[in-house]
Amino acid sequence: MTLAEVDPQRATAGTGRGPGPSEVADRLRRGRAPRGAGRTMAIIGAGLVAACVLVALLAPWIAIHSPTEPSGTPFARPSSAHPLGTNDVGQDLFAQLVFGARVSLVIGLGAAAVALVVGGLVAVVAGYYRGPIEAVLMRLVDLMLGFPFLVLVIVLAAFFGRGLWTTIAVIATVLWARPARILRSQVLKLRELDHVVAARAMGASGLWVMGRHILPRIAPLGAAQFVRAANVAVTLEASLAFLGLGDANRLSWGTMLYFANARSAFLTDAWRWWVAPAGLALTTVILGLAFLSYAIEEWADPRLRRPAPRPVRRRALPPLAESAEDAPALELSGLVVDYRLAGSAIRAVDEVDLVVHRGRILGLVGESGSGKTTIALTVAGVLRPPARVVAGTLALAGRELGRPARPVVAPFRGRQVALVPQAAMNALNPAYPVLAQLVEAARLTRGAAEATTRATELLERVGLPASRHRSFPHELSGGMRQRAVIAMALVNDPALLVADEPASGLDVVTRAQVLKLLLELRDQMHLGVLLVSHDLPTISRLADDLAVMYAGRIVERGPAAQVSSSPKHPYTRALFSAFPALHGERRPLASLPGEVPDLTRVPEGCRFGPRCPDAVEECRTGDPALEDVGSGGHEVACLLRRTP
Amino acid sequence: MARHLLRTSLQYGAVLFAAIVLNFALPRLAPGDAIDYLLPPEQAGALTPEQRTAVLDRFGLDDAVPEQFRRYVTGIARGDLLVSVRFGRPVTSLLRERVGWTLLLVGGALALSTLIGAALGFRSAWRRGTRADTGTLGAVMFLDALPPFFVGMMLLLAFSVGLGWFPSYGAVSATDEQGLQLVLEVLKRAVLPMATLTVAGLGPMYLIARSALVSELQEDYVLMAEAKGLSDRQVRRHAARNALLPVSTVALVGLGTLVGGAAVVESVFSYPGLGRLIYESVLARDYPVLQGAFLLLIVTIVIANLLNDLAYPLLDPRVRKRRS
Repeated sequence: MTLAEVDPQRATAGTGRGPGPSEVADRLRRGRAPRGAGRTMAIIGAGLVAACVLVALLAPWIAIHSPTEPSGTPFARPSSAHPLGTNDVGQDLFAQLVFGARVSLVIGLGAAAVALVVGGLVAVVAGYYRGPIEAVLMRLVDLMLGFPFLVLVIVLAAFFGRGLWTTIAVIATVLWARPARILRSQVLKLRELDHVVAARAMGASGLWVMGRHILPRIAPLGAAQFVRAANVAVTLEASLAFLGLGDANRLSWGTMLYFANARSAFLTDAWRWWVAPAGLALTTVILGLAFLSYAIEEWADPRLRRPAPRPVRRRALPPLAESAEDAPALELSGLVVDYRLAGSAIRAVDEVDLVVHRGRILGLVGESGSGKTTIALTVAGVLRPPARVVAGTLALAGRELGRPARPVVAPFRGRQVALVPQAAMNALNPAYPVLAQLVEAARLTRGAAEATTRATELLERVGLPASRHRSFPHELSGGMRQRAVIAMALVNDPALLVADEPASGLDVVTRAQVLKLLLELRDQMHLGVLLVSHDLPTISRLADDLAVMYAGRIVERGPAAQVSSSPKHPYTRALFSAFPALHGERRPLASLPGEVPDLTRVPEGCRFGPRCPDAVEECRTGDPALEDVGSGGHEVACLLRRTP
Repeated sequence: MARHLLRTSLQYGAVLFAAIVLNFALPRLAPGDAIDYLLPPEQAGALTPEQRTAVLDRFGLDDAVPEQFRRYVTGIARGDLLVSVRFGRPVTSLLRERVGWTLLLVGGALALSTLIGAALGFRSAWRRGTRADTGTLGAVMFLDALPPFFVGMMLLLAFSVGLGWFPSYGAVSATDEQGLQLVLEVLKRAVLPMATLTVAGLGPMYLIARSALVSELQEDYVLMAEAKGLSDRQVRRHAARNALLPVSTVALVGLGTLVGGAAVVESVFSYPGLGRLIYESVLARDYPVLQGAFLLLIVTIVIANLLNDLAYPLLDPRVRKRRS
């Protein structure tokens, strides 16, 4: 639990929310994201659809002739009087094209609207009232989704006739199930939201809750479903009409193509003005709707617009510097990492220096959003866009790598620096047995037989029983998976292990075992460990050195014993006192008012100033740097720098 | 596993049952007299009241509805699907004659569109945000927006009428080829309709493959695969293995779409498959054939879904566990 979550008074803070990788992701989800293809598609799509709607509305003014009255000689070629010539009975094809927009659009949009209303109603009723009503309705939905659309529409249309309204009804009949399914899952989520549960508990009527809380929230999703349904409906109408099942009195584009096909117009050069324009008109509407629907989908799922990291070529490792064995596993200096958003950049890590020696554990501690995970990912060479390393230098086991951008660190992954990611229990591929995933990694530096030996050895060392080596991840407990991931990280003898909350999500006993395992491995394998966590009291007992982060900066660091026995920075002190101590005198738990600052608007002066219980006037202006306090490399960035 | 199989079978059984009920109900619910849907219009119109009663009796339309339904279902069980109004032949034998051609087209198109769509989609996902991705996305969406019959007409125009590479209609030529000659002739005539259907099936396949891989690439196991030092190619294989699941499911939805598309495409190419039979039956108001073909399609799709359900555990070890 982070301080922000512990804190009951967060409303008192003057600052906004602060971003770390997770919160940046939150922000992306809310829509301030790098522009993907979706934005362009939304504009083009809206343009295409709008153009067709405009033509449909203005049809009587655009077309000179009537679409149904013969106005020229049959099969006339294009002329100034008939821009697209005439058909077999002398009707003006241009007029048919223009008026066809009306029928195609009315049927497409109309059927989509009916499908949406019916589907939405089913969704709300099923999702809200649950029980047997839902069971029956959802079976019906499954059933509808299983039918082949077009065939069902053809059969229905064949029996029920060809009028405009019949066509709309028939198409809506096969389209309502999809919106129903999708909207229902949304209703299910909404009805469990706190304020909705509260409204229901206070006895608000179902109708009121639906109108007030549910309908407004499913409206955006409904819009997406409407566009999608309209897309399918236009296609279905065109197909029906093309098969001769359209309304013969109201020409649509599909009907035009039906007549063109029936008269074999496309075997002569008449296809150019009879077939092609109608076909392209249909394509325009369908493409416009498809673009809109994609844009909405991308807007709802930002993962689709997050750009891919640049591809990486694996290279041979450059030679080690002279005194490599004694060199620190990690030397990081001046690291600056930005998250690039549509308009602005958020500085998640600002001028951070770290050193991790071999055989020692450095605990990197801070609230979520402080930038600690960003550092872990940078060092491990797996930082992804929109995050970008702006400045800094990195040395791994004595190798100077320069600015630690992803492609620079990538060749060293696994062999110099290894990662145990956050939620390591999910870091195994569900499709492959555990041993195979270790062997795959071990193969990078040795032959097949040796790799299997090495993988087995590592799994045994972390305490996974031999009988479980060939199990699939889902067949193992959380603790076992965690151990397997640690083994996998170490299979190629890295100098540095980056462990991001390695024991999160485990029960207390298992957590202690996993942390103990890390200590053993540090000694056995002479590892440098960068241990990232928000749990300062636990980490301070485990780590040899500590570094405390706040809002992208390190505010205090030094030997773990010194930092925990006499924390100098008010923030470090707050982190310690936010957790109950098992031993010693009982003290009331302190909570820290306010939240991590919004890194787009970093406060002037000391970043911690606005939340600091001890802040003085000076803290509003002066930006403190790390300075030595006491001996042994204990440093703190605080203008007060006083002993408690 | 057994329980799951039972539940799935029951669900698909329900779909099948619904299709049969629909088939049974349609001529009875549709506007007008049921006789109009069972006999050619000119015959139905010319009937005297006595003949009408006789016809009603023959089709069992004067019985109580449950009795009618019972007889309808037992008829289906015996493989008796009434008699075609247009051809005067049992619907079953008509269907048997046509279904092979549609299987050829739809099967080929399904395989092609799945392979091409998944390959392009995975490629796009891996390069998401680049020009190559945006370009492919736009191009595939454009192809997908072209109505299938329009694509068919344009292909026909370009390759049959224009270039003369392929015959413009039919599945076999009038002359009697044998052996290899026949196979080549059949393939040659299947190229254009199959290509049309492939284009029709490509879009959904591509989109789902793309978004499935994009979302797999955000998973923790991909981060781990990168961090442990695997090459990009190996990392991609990890993610693609899991992205195959949704792709296989969509391939089935694609089957439904393609079967529908076949109805339209076969009529463009005058291809003697099930789709064209449906089309002609609509025009000739040959309702018994229409109903029979509809039932056959539903059965096919139900079977395909069942097969997919059985194959699913092979792709996903987690399902294997959950079901056993």
